[in-house]
Amino acid sequence: MLIEIETVTADRTREVGRALASMLQPRDTVVLTGDLGAGKTTLVQGIGRGLGVEDHVASPTFTLVREYTGRLDIAHVDVYRLDRVQDVLDLALDELGGPERVLLVEWGDAVSDLLPEDRLLVEITTERVDAETRRIVLRPQGRSWAARWERLEQVLDPFHSPDPRTLDEAAP
Amino acid sequence: MIVVGIETSTPQTSVAIGTDREILGSVSVAGKARQESVTPALEQLCGWTGIELSQVGGIAVGVGPGLFTGLRVGIETAKTLAQVLAVPIVGITSLDALAFSVRHTHKLIVAVIDGRRGEVFFAVYRALPGGVLRGSDYSVATPDHLSAELETLSGEMLAVGDGAILYKTQLEELGSRVEFASTIRAHPEAASLVELAVPRFLREEHDRLYDVVPMYLRKSDAEIAWDKRERGAGA
Repeated sequence: MLIEIETVTADRTREVGRALASMLQPRDTVVLTGDLGAGKTTLVQGIGRGLGVEDHVASPTFTLVREYTGRLDIAHVDVYRLDRVQDVLDLALDELGGPERVLLVEWGDAVSDLLPEDRLLVEITTERVDAETRRIVLRPQGRSWAARWERLEQVLDPFHSPDPRTLDEAAP
Repeated sequence: MIVVGIETSTPQTSVAIGTDREILGSVSVAGKARQESVTPALEQLCGWTGIELSQVGGIAVGVGPGLFTGLRVGIETAKTLAQVLAVPIVGITSLDALAFSVRHTHKLIVAVIDGRRGEVFFAVYRALPGGVLRGSDYSVATPDHLSAELETLSGEMLAVGDGAILYKTQLEELGSRVEFASTIRAHPEAASLVELAVPRFLREEHDRLYDVVPMYLRKSDAEIAWDKRERGAGA
């Protein structure tokens, strides 16, 4: 199972995040991978908006963890700067936020043994031909996401067609 | 001798003041803001009991195993107090404190604390006159693994702690020889720390300040298997 989307603007990436947020449930884990600057935090900004977070969502690369309050609480983590497994254990990912929180982990694939088995994998890549284009690939892992997959496909279906506003801009 | 106990290994924070004869006061709070409650709770207790910090002769602190976020707050608070008041400190494990609280039994005591991520911290004890004797290592395992481990032990057991309550179904597979301690014993109590620490202070068996650290049963020196970061950093 796999959903593949292309976006050409940061706003569009945020909208994907916003749509994804509508499918999130308490205790979900979302693992975000992709090169530096690929748009992981941009997608999280969209998720934050979708969950009704009013605070500005910024990159946690240097703070390691940022927590936000919304319809569901968000614990936004970046393990990029960590070198040892113990450093990740010290973050106590399971203890962040309350029971109604979702865990969003940037670069989480490198520490997947330390994350819940049920998780959504989101990979963002930049296309070589066009620096603006982002390819977002979502994969479920575990029963919980498999059960929601059909619904998620429906929710993200609009993003398979080009952004109407981008077309408008391109028009003479 | 007046001893302050601070216990933050589980979702319940507990602070107590006591002597070799009695517990003068104790406060336990569970919930999200629990870590912020350590210092205010101590302040309240001092006010209620009329004890001033300058009268305190020792600090007893729970060192886990348990939840990191709480442990770090509790241990740092305890060490700061010990340093500022220039009094000795004693670290006591959460599992020892749990087992000690149900020591009046002839059964084997199995202390079990929820370690999150589907795992528990546990140790097995036998009651002795005046205390408990640990008969196993401090371990971390899945509830099924714990259950299998206990299967190999003979005799009746008393399971105590929030982990025992959370995974009651798995432990009940051992049959009627497992009894579950009351929910009021679900968390290690600071009052138990005080009681356990007093004889150690009297015998001058203190811990060195810098040796008092959280017990990390999952400790790992392994490096993260980065295969993408280098490529990512160069992009």
